[in-house]
Amino acid sequence: MATMTQTLPSLVKEISQRKIDAYSVVRARSIHTDESWARAKGFRAPLAQGMMSTAYVSEMMTRFLGAGFVKGGTISMAFVKPVYAGDRLTVHGVVKDRQPENGGTRVTVEVWCVNQGGQTTAIGTASGLEP
Amino acid sequence: MIQFKKLTYEALEVGEEFVSDEQLVLPEDVETYAFAVDDHHPWFLEDSPFGGPIAHPTLLGNQALRMRHGRYIVHAGLHAKMDFEFLEPIRPGVRTRSRGKVVDKYERRGKPYMVTEFVTEDENGTTLVRGRFTQMLFRD
Repeated sequence: MATMTQTLPSLVKEISQRKIDAYSVVRARSIHTDESWARAKGFRAPLAQGMMSTAYVSEMMTRFLGAGFVKGGTISMAFVKPVYAGDRLTVHGVVKDRQPENGGTRVTVEVWCVNQGGQTTAIGTASGLEP
Repeated sequence: MIQFKKLTYEALEVGEEFVSDEQLVLPEDVETYAFAVDDHHPWFLEDSPFGGPIAHPTLLGNQALRMRHGRYIVHAGLHAKMDFEFLEPIRPGVRTRSRGKVVDKYERRGKPYMVTEFVTEDENGTTLVRGRFTQMLFRD
């Protein structure tokens, strides 16, 4: 029997240096907050922390599942391309599985982030308990 | 007194354990995080189904990442993978601490990686978050 694909509303995130600074705390010799150090390490600009993408997925999942993500949620992500200050990321999610768990249902979502150039920067899964 | 040394693949030992300093989660930490990730959900600033405001589930990820800074000079590696399990909501006003252990290190395509598992607890010993992160270490 065919099943309907459930696509979550996507999120768009503008990554500024100020936001990276707030997330990472400004430190010398950091690829996130020290432009000259980032260039010395071979990057064209300071990088966003990979974990910022997990925060975006967390936002998407909290909107989707609410308390069942905050308590009982999971994220598993790989960061496959750098995200730079000035990039714009779109965060996507598609439900791929529902399984019974402790009298409820665990929903697993495939998640990925794409930059303004169409490159995938992070991929993985997130899950939580459906109300 | 701590004698800091530079974090290198060679210096790092599988099984090595870390512990963060204690962190009191402040309302301003939650506000700053909301700005940083552009997520101003009312649960983080007003009230939530858990009774009172809570923090973003990923708020304490950096506490886990920085456990290593209590012993090593860490000039930021490149984050390759991150796994989180959110077990309890994080509330402003709790004192939290992360503990972790290096569970693997390996080289792939000439680049060194370390894998660390962590648990973040509140002052009552309740586990809030646990997970694992993989980082590529920069060579000089």
